[in-house]
Amino acid sequence: MSRIASIIAVILLSTLPVAAVESLTFEQHIRPLLKEHCFDCHGANAELEGGLDLRLRRLMLQGGTSGPAIEPGSSDSSLLFQRIRAGEMPPGEAKMPPDAVAVFEKWIASGAATARDEPDDIEPGIGISDEERAFWSFQPVKRPCELDYERADRARTPIDALLLDKMRPLGLDFSPDAIPSTLIRRAYFDLLGLPPSPNAVSDFVNDDSPSAYENLIDRLLASPAYGERWARHWLDVAGYADSEGATNQDAHRPWAYQYRDYVIRCLNNDIPLGQFIQEQLAGDEMLTPPFENLTPDQIDKLAATGFLRMAADGTGSGANDDASRNQTIADTMKIVSTSLLGLSVGCAQCHDHRYDPIPQKDYYQLRAIFEPSLDWKNWRTPSQRLVTLYADADRARAAEIEAEAQVIVAEKAKLQEQYISDALEEELARHPEDLREELRVAYRTSKSERTERQKTLLKEFPSVNISPGILYQYNQQRADELKGYDQRIGEVRQRIPPENFLRVLSEPPDSQPLTHLFHRGDFKQPQDSVKPAGLTITAAIDERLTIAEDDETLASTGRRLAYARWLTNGRHPLLSRVLVNRIWMHHFGRGIVGTPGDFGVLGQRPTHPKLLDWLADELVAQRWNLKRIHKRIMMSTVYRQSSETDGTSERDMAKLAMDGSNELYWKWPLQRLDAEVIRDRFLATTGSMQDQMFGPAVPIKADDAGQVVVDNQSRRSVYVQVKRTQPVAVLRVFDAPVMEVNCDRRQPSTDAAQSLLLMNSDFILEQAQRFAARLNSEVTEPIAPPEEFDPAPLNVNSVWQYGYGSLAKDESHLANFDPFPYWTGKAWQGGPTLPSPELEWAILNTHGGHPSTHNAVIRRWVAPRDGAVHVTGNLSHPSENGNGVRASVVARSPDVAGRWIAFHDEIATEAGPIEVKAGDPIDFVVDNYGNTNSDSFSWPVTVVWTGPDGQTRQWESVAGFHGPLGNAELIPARIFHAWQLAYGRQPDNREMLAALQFLAEQIRTSLGQGGAVDARKQALTNLCQSLLSSNECLYVD
Amino acid sequence: MLINEIQNIKSMHAPSRREFLQNNALGVGGIALAWLLQQETAQAKPATVSLGPQNFDMIPKRTHHHPTARAMISMFMHGGPSHMDLMDPKPELSKYSGTQFTGDIKYSFVNRASKQLLGSPWRFKKHGQSGTEISELLPRTAQIVDDICVVRSMHTGFNGHEVSIRYWHGGIPSVLGRPTLGSWLTYGLGSETQDLPAYMVLTDPGGHPVDGVNNWSNGWMPSLYQGTVLRPKEPRILNLQPPAHLKGALQRQNLAFLDQLNRRHAERFPGENDLEARIASFELAARMQTAATEALDISLESESTLRLYGIDQDDTKEYGTRCLIARRLVERGVRFVQLFLAGQPWDNHANIRETLPAACRRTDRPAAALVTDLKQRGLLDSTLVHWGGEIGRLPVTENHGAPEKCGRDHNGQGFSCWFAGGGIRGGLTFGETDPFGHSAVVDRVTPNDVQATVMHQFGLDHGRLSFPYNGREQVITDGRSARLVKGILA
Repeated sequence: MSRIASIIAVILLSTLPVAAVESLTFEQHIRPLLKEHCFDCHGANAELEGGLDLRLRRLMLQGGTSGPAIEPGSSDSSLLFQRIRAGEMPPGEAKMPPDAVAVFEKWIASGAATARDEPDDIEPGIGISDEERAFWSFQPVKRPCELDYERADRARTPIDALLLDKMRPLGLDFSPDAIPSTLIRRAYFDLLGLPPSPNAVSDFVNDDSPSAYENLIDRLLASPAYGERWARHWLDVAGYADSEGATNQDAHRPWAYQYRDYVIRCLNNDIPLGQFIQEQLAGDEMLTPPFENLTPDQIDKLAATGFLRMAADGTGSGANDDASRNQTIADTMKIVSTSLLGLSVGCAQCHDHRYDPIPQKDYYQLRAIFEPSLDWKNWRTPSQRLVTLYADADRARAAEIEAEAQVIVAEKAKLQEQYISDALEEELARHPEDLREELRVAYRTSKSERTERQKTLLKEFPSVNISPGILYQYNQQRADELKGYDQRIGEVRQRIPPENFLRVLSEPPDSQPLTHLFHRGDFKQPQDSVKPAGLTITAAIDERLTIAEDDETLASTGRRLAYARWLTNGRHPLLSRVLVNRIWMHHFGRGIVGTPGDFGVLGQRPTHPKLLDWLADELVAQRWNLKRIHKRIMMSTVYRQSSETDGTSERDMAKLAMDGSNELYWKWPLQRLDAEVIRDRFLATTGSMQDQMFGPAVPIKADDAGQVVVDNQSRRSVYVQVKRTQPVAVLRVFDAPVMEVNCDRRQPSTDAAQSLLLMNSDFILEQAQRFAARLNSEVTEPIAPPEEFDPAPLNVNSVWQYGYGSLAKDESHLANFDPFPYWTGKAWQGGPTLPSPELEWAILNTHGGHPSTHNAVIRRWVAPRDGAVHVTGNLSHPSENGNGVRASVVARSPDVAGRWIAFHDEIATEAGPIEVKAGDPIDFVVDNYGNTNSDSFSWPVTVVWTGPDGQTRQWESVAGFHGPLGNAELIPARIFHAWQLAYGRQPDNREMLAALQFLAEQIRTSLGQGGAVDARKQALTNLCQSLLSSNECLYVD
Repeated sequence: MLINEIQNIKSMHAPSRREFLQNNALGVGGIALAWLLQQETAQAKPATVSLGPQNFDMIPKRTHHHPTARAMISMFMHGGPSHMDLMDPKPELSKYSGTQFTGDIKYSFVNRASKQLLGSPWRFKKHGQSGTEISELLPRTAQIVDDICVVRSMHTGFNGHEVSIRYWHGGIPSVLGRPTLGSWLTYGLGSETQDLPAYMVLTDPGGHPVDGVNNWSNGWMPSLYQGTVLRPKEPRILNLQPPAHLKGALQRQNLAFLDQLNRRHAERFPGENDLEARIASFELAARMQTAATEALDISLESESTLRLYGIDQDDTKEYGTRCLIARRLVERGVRFVQLFLAGQPWDNHANIRETLPAACRRTDRPAAALVTDLKQRGLLDSTLVHWGGEIGRLPVTENHGAPEKCGRDHNGQGFSCWFAGGGIRGGLTFGETDPFGHSAVVDRVTPNDVQATVMHQFGLDHGRLSFPYNGREQVITDGRSARLVKGILA
């Protein structure tokens, strides 16, 4: 056997089940099977089916009404085994699998051994066996002896030493350190979720100081973008959503963002994880109600409890029934347990957990901790749980402003009374004199006190009934004047500070509901009440956390606070392991435990248990300081090594053959970026991203095709609205979670919908355009292309040019044409500001423009070949002012092919056929027609060219509109810049050449097709799209 | 466990480079494996080390047992078709029509509830050799009775729409956010075409059905297993076509350049299968642009086919077109196609005498045509067709003042649906409701039973096809009792 093959054999052997070589015992091998399949009817409850209790071997021997269940040494004559083998037991569809039956048979045949003497007494219920207690994740965290890593090759930290410890026996070792440009990219995406700027890359690459890398990490950990990225990880497990879910309405949660912002703030401010968790579980209990006039710290503590308000909750949107309430409680329990305990306690809602040692009673005791705040018998809907952020100062300020408004209100009332009175007198004057006084008195008498005579009178002369609402019918001017007051009142009231709210979990006063165990999880079948407590298995036998039902020193019961403090006391076997495992997972793409939400029997075992414990202990030793753990990990060699392997190197191929899945971390694991990071990377690369932080969710909408898109493509994805029933297409397609409850691990997928989105969606096309525009505006200095490249194909000019000039005196041809000197990014004009000193208001934009006093504005089309052209368009002058504009189509021959005047209307313009030779211009000239006032116009035109052989091509002025093309000399520099922005590195010679050849090919094709869009601009846009869509942009190495 | 099993793929064709990469031992990349093979003597058995993120694909997978169906078309009839007016004749109900129902009954709309029995206003007749009785409202369905199996004992136990819809699609009553039947089938089986999505959904021009996109959700499975929505109007697939200015040579060049970038990138990372998979997925997307366009182009169909589906008539044109597209899709290897109606046209609370015939006029001919057409093309044997809603209706009158305005309220206790093809026995009626059609009393069939049976026809054991999520191996029925309904199998 070759060396490699023998190593493979070692790997395979090490994964064989242990049971095969051990003798079978009741505790180790049989009890778990019985627990899964039999205890429900034979042991879990006081009522035993057939009187048979299977919880101990001696009870099996004792048997039930049909006699002993087993006969040690003889499976065939053991009743229990007969029934199992015949498929009669367990009853129902789920049968014991054949391998389990075989184990059972063997155990009885070999004498039905137990591991130790069985107890004389047994508590009711299934209980927890010693074997279950011995499960790895329930053991106290034990810091491994630190290996001597100084001497070990390339190990920089204890983390490296622990990893090398497993690699060395296989002859594996770390890959070389990644090159600096890779390292900085990795650190940026990991900590910030954003690409480094080209300057940041070159600064880092050129920084030779030994602390360059450490300084980089410190810098990134101090960046506000760090909190935005790492908040997303926590929001996944917290099940963050901006909608309530649960019902079809999927109602909006306008204040959920306060919790999201709290998480971002905590991470940025390096709040210790222990405190972070305490606040989320019991922030309200750290304060004294009422929750009024809140300080920033108090706001944080209350916002934190939003964690317990993330579960879907339809009770405010059409489903406020007992089932929905209990569902919300169950979901909240699931969020708490998977995020903090790494256990799926949900199974124990209906019965003792089949696999993990979580009795059903434990589940309800855990629930009792939350019951006073989530009381299904005394439920509060989401809106009833909101806490206002309005402080007395705000109220005072509001009252002050309202008083200010009231002054105007009074002023208006007085005036109104006067005006109505005046109008009344004027109106009375039109009535018979002898009735006037009587009508006046009737009008002024309040409605309820009017006599019959007065009522009749007023009915008879309705025009006397003047009210504020109809004053305008008597005096429009005065009515308008009063309206002006309303506007002033409104303006004043605008200044009243807006009222914001927090989504809070808290307990109403004296809320101490009893928590009952629900038979089969059914709230309609409550059984005994239970007292609040932590899970039995998460503490040593005598140390289980019991919680007082009411803490007299607090306004609330204090149950959650007590639990939170105990959970974070540093001795909990699961919390620190679960947290560091997640941290590790987000750095390396997979956890040390592959199932971050399940550290139980069904979960995966840690690949590196010692490393997990070292990190868990280190987290507590570092006082729960997350940033220090990041730094510990990132300073390690395992983090800094290259992800690349060499397909031609025998050594690398041997590594791949031995550990192709990189279980042992001999290389950095290449990772697909998360959906949010992909979108954010695009926005950052194309220069679209704002760095505005926090605030209400950025709205989403459905586009024409029915896809959900973000309304504002400039904010980071963490701020985009998470509506459970309307996932944003670009995020969902790249596997952003759908928040049924929460998400403890994302599943990256690769499918054609992603590719189609990257090929054809409006989103990618727009990003590519922005990217190209950015390249055009930022690159001003040429660089030399590779020598072997022929630049000729790049040197094409657009058919469109933009300038100004004037018609000759006889108006038969153009006297002069000068290109515009300045491009704003959207329009051509005389200078950075309007009016410009020389060209005043002259401007040309996508659809039209504006002429100046002395100059017409000219959109020029230049014929690429001989032929005839026909032009059409719509000239529009929208303003009612001024005297309109005059438009001319000017060609070589005949000089003026058409002339139109538009004034506050839109007219069709059509000219041709016009004979052209290659290079001949057709000018679309607009002048002021003698007066430059209000001369904005629009004039989109279409040029249809017909060649000598009858072939036709078409150009649209709107689609083809462009800024400066620069000269082709700048193209290599643009490619260079594109590589830096998209990939965070420079292109090598081969890549530069490939990109240039691609552009040349595209331009050639475009010209051949006579595309409507500028060929060079489109080619660069397409290059940008390819870069954004490429694997180097979707993965981080 | 199944994940490992299905990774060891039985290919239906010569393995591609990508399959090869994904099949080999220890998850090692192809180059490394080639190297390994050169070193001879390597006799390692496949032992998949499943660590970190899993890769998912649509390559055909090995089934648990021999399948009889390879594709499924489901015509989902949202709202609750009135079984006692369509395919479950109830002479007793007619006899006692107008008298008071004496049993217990649950209403959704208590304000309009009555206990007055309402005999069907429509006549039933025996049809075909089997003599299956079908209402005059479904004259075309009546012509295919010998090919279909009418199940008259459906039971969800819940009268609500959503609660039952989610039961049908996701496996648990009322629970949202789970993968749907199409997700499970495509996850378990992969697809026979690599040019089209495996799971496709045809929605109604009138809008989404009740419960919207949840009807074809992939839940917590990767988005690969989400139903791809064929929109009711052009463009039928989102992002399928490039914008006009990129069509043709320009986009081909773009993709060639992208491919060049990706291949050069992948060279640096031998053994990273995901990079290869993404290169392949761009190739699929490019093929889809042609293949899907062709699959959706019904102009190539003959006049007589178009007539068969009623595409020449206003009432049936829209639904007929979608049924025809469904056939074209399964013909091209698509695994699971589901057709939906906007809102819930079968929810005939009021004016049942007008609204029910209207729903029938729109769907009867196309639905029957689909079975006929599949049969004449030899596709029915391998294509399982389903017609039915989430619930049925009550035998009593729902009051709306005037008798002619009356309708029927929801009923999840007993209702009908039909199946054809894919190993289902034709010419059969299965199960019974009570004499008034209120509750399924003989051979009750639940949506979980249907799921188990459908999966069985595809060669899958519903209890063994599992997906790891939240630390548990999840199955479609979530461990709820589900039986294989052997009585309806051929």
